[in-house]
Amino acid sequence: MDTSSPSAFVNGALLRRYIGQKVRTVIQVIGSDTGSVVGKSTDDLQIVVRGPSPTPPLTTYLEVIGIAESDNSIRAETWTNFGNTFDPQNYNELCKLANGEFKHLFI
Amino acid sequence: MFSSSQFEPNSAFSGGGFMSSQPSQAYESSSSTAKNREFQGLVPVTVKQITECFQSGSEKSGLVINGISLTNVSLVGLVCDKDGSKVTEVRFTLDDGTGRIDCKRWVNESFDAREMESVRDGTYVRLNGHLKTFQGKTQLLVFSVRPIRDFNEVTFHYIECIHFYSQNSESQGQQAGDVTQSVNTTFQGGSNTNQAAPLNPVMSSQNDGNGRKNLDDMILDYLKQPACTARQQGIHIDEIAQQLKIPKNKLEGVIQSLEGDGLIYSTIDEYHFKHVEL
Repeated sequence: MDTSSPSAFVNGALLRRYIGQKVRTVIQVIGSDTGSVVGKSTDDLQIVVRGPSPTPPLTTYLEVIGIAESDNSIRAETWTNFGNTFDPQNYNELCKLANGEFKHLFI
Repeated sequence: MFSSSQFEPNSAFSGGGFMSSQPSQAYESSSSTAKNREFQGLVPVTVKQITECFQSGSEKSGLVINGISLTNVSLVGLVCDKDGSKVTEVRFTLDDGTGRIDCKRWVNESFDAREMESVRDGTYVRLNGHLKTFQGKTQLLVFSVRPIRDFNEVTFHYIECIHFYSQNSESQGQQAGDVTQSVNTTFQGGSNTNQAAPLNPVMSSQNDGNGRKNLDDMILDYLKQPACTARQQGIHIDEIAQQLKIPKNKLEGVIQSLEGDGLIYSTIDEYHFKHVEL
């Protein structure tokens, strides 16, 4: 059992707290470029994700796990399709709780 | 031996739409276990909680029932390092973002084998299993593995962990009840009316009856200021005493009753407080 590489639940605003660390978040893809994907976070901020692109077919929401590079970009390690019926508001509230009062349950 | 039908569902909680592809009885019991601590239900946890529980060896969050080694837990995470080389057992690691735990699944019937086949590395799954310690290492003996189809279940699982934890922390004197309320109300479209906190400034026993604004109100007013609510770690009782120019010993009793009423809560330690925001 090993808790050495936890990934913090972040939304756009919380990303800046974990620069250089492993994070996870769900984004809605709004555009893509060579080598990077631009997405909208669950709190409606823009996040750029660099690294290997996710393999299509893609759903509306994607979870990306990777290292936070700046306050609005992530270097992706893993992508997961999170479907089209995902509720971003719930996830957003979870991010706030997981970084606030209940942080000790997660990191 | 590991079939999930053994679990008697303890409530009518049907899981909404999250588990439309799975029988809901597997973990519905956990949401109503708060009343009966002896009930050996399925506890939703994060790997971090499991690690902490084992390290401290204490009874936290109801994780310890009948001793540490026999507890049923429910986890959600990514499968990694799946090793299906043996015929009778499948081993893999579950990574739920808070940590990793080794898992083992005995494959005795074709049903089990089919279930494990659909689980690959990188699949998000819902696991139900027994926690077992073997030679100092903790392992999860899994009896139920289901790939997740609706990913709202991932969000839901973590929220359920928080909920279960805060319900069980009530008895430890924290403001868990109010937090649970606010957790619930946060998801009702953002309406934040916290019905559990009766605002009752008059009932303070600290009112010395000479018409002076009582201590409760003074403390609350101070903590309600935006400068104070913005501070994550709360305000130290010394600071409150300084700012209100009231001796600390007078404040202590009032703070306790305010905490008991659910109007303030302690944050990083028992001396820092914040106003419960409605």
